[in-house]
Amino acid sequence: MLLALQLLCDGVLLGGTYVLIAQSLNLIFGVMGVVNLAHGSFIVLAGLFTVWFAAHAAINPLLAIPIAFVVLFGVGALLQPVLLEPLMGLGAQQAELLSLMLTFGLDYVLIELGLQVFGSSYVSLPYLQSTWSVAGLTISKSLLVGSAFAAALALLLSFWLNHTGFGKTLLAASQSEVGAVSIGINVRLVRLVAFAIGVGLAGAAGVLLILVEPMAAETADDFTILGFVLIALGGLGDYRGVAIASVLLGIAQSAVGFAIGGDAESVLPFVLLILFMALWPQRFRRAA
Amino acid sequence: MSEAATALALEDVVAGYGPVTILHEVSLVLGPGEVVVVLGANGAGKTTLFRAIAGLLAPRSGHIRLYGEAIEGRTAHAVTRAGIGHVPSGRELFPRLTVADHLDLGGRLCLPARRAELKERMFGLFPVLHERRQQRAGTLSGGEQQMVAIARALMTDPRVLLLDEPSTGLAPKIVISVFEILPLLKAQGVSVLLAEQSLTLGLSAADRAYVLDHGRIVLSGSASELANDRRVVDTYLGR
Repeated sequence: MLLALQLLCDGVLLGGTYVLIAQSLNLIFGVMGVVNLAHGSFIVLAGLFTVWFAAHAAINPLLAIPIAFVVLFGVGALLQPVLLEPLMGLGAQQAELLSLMLTFGLDYVLIELGLQVFGSSYVSLPYLQSTWSVAGLTISKSLLVGSAFAAALALLLSFWLNHTGFGKTLLAASQSEVGAVSIGINVRLVRLVAFAIGVGLAGAAGVLLILVEPMAAETADDFTILGFVLIALGGLGDYRGVAIASVLLGIAQSAVGFAIGGDAESVLPFVLLILFMALWPQRFRRAA
Repeated sequence: MSEAATALALEDVVAGYGPVTILHEVSLVLGPGEVVVVLGANGAGKTTLFRAIAGLLAPRSGHIRLYGEAIEGRTAHAVTRAGIGHVPSGRELFPRLTVADHLDLGGRLCLPARRAELKERMFGLFPVLHERRQQRAGTLSGGEQQMVAIARALMTDPRVLLLDEPSTGLAPKIVISVFEILPLLKAQGVSVLLAEQSLTLGLSAADRAYVLDHGRIVLSGSASELANDRRVVDTYLGR
């Protein structure tokens, strides 16, 4: 019983760290129809930067969150009009395919950049390495902090989308572009902001994930795929569904990791992705 | 009709997609407070015409004037701000947002006091939307969805409303109830350009009509004249 609770607790916390990966990707995919294959490389660059930052500036690594967010928001705001916006006029289907190819290339450029700047080895961040014991459960402090911050940022995003004027125009544009244009919403601006915020939040996610697991430049695509699995599971543009999916995947991974082993745990998202693609390909379509 | 007495005027508008020309020198006028219907079979170019007026498609040549001011070539959001409300074909609602969200989004450029006033007016025009204001648009009936689409466009406080085939997919009884609001808009000084496939429906709702065929205006006149004109039916049947 206690073991089951321990696995559940680990799973929920692991899932909490996933929420931000999935929601930031969901924002970009939902609003722009852009399959952002470079998402994981933004996450990893932010994670590697955090290790460098913590080593060189003797301050709390959590302070890297606003830095990573602002820098990557800026990067997103610069890349979107140059690389992605020109594809948007080509019709949804072609835009989706071309953006896939384009972000695939961008992913490689960013991974190479990471290799050149930060090297190829796995790095981790020694921060909050101790555990708490609560009612017989062992809770890793770094996992708890990473999970809590990621969940808080995801909630903040959700609040911004649902309760502010600009957030609502973003939801509107993702649900019907023609409808949004018909009431004078500047969808170009909306797409730019959605992409910049999505990439900025990927940066924040990277800072939090490095607290929890080691990273190398080449692990970038693991995060991208994880994000897509969660969107498929939770529903494109469905922020609540994706949050639930994140926690469920965390629990499933924690259980599989215990029952079979660490390799099975890390391969689980990929197996799920293949299963979803085969069984429910329509889960990857934009919301109608 | 003099310049000042014209709400919307199209002069020789040519438009299309890529190498294909859909609209061939279309000219039409809409007076203030008038309801004018553009009749045409499927594929005649009605939606392309409305997209060109709404700024979703830049005309290759010709002029579109709103109360004398040229608006052709402006972006869609600039056209909305200039005073053209657009109810797109297929309604294009935001399925996961509530009825109230649709109204707020439509009226988001108005001052808060004006927005509240417009919202009250919408609930007066469509009392059922008041009951359903917290309901997601995707869960409404077809008729209610059409009302939301019209109310959303009216919340932009337009001088001219483009109503693109509101009858699509609705039962005749529902269509009649939707069309009943047209005289009320007229009383408020909003001019309406309506696109419609059904002759009887379109002519019953409008003051005047234009018949569009293969992207050209082939006939025009008052609704009562055209109702008795055999050439209208002939155009539809391709004779």
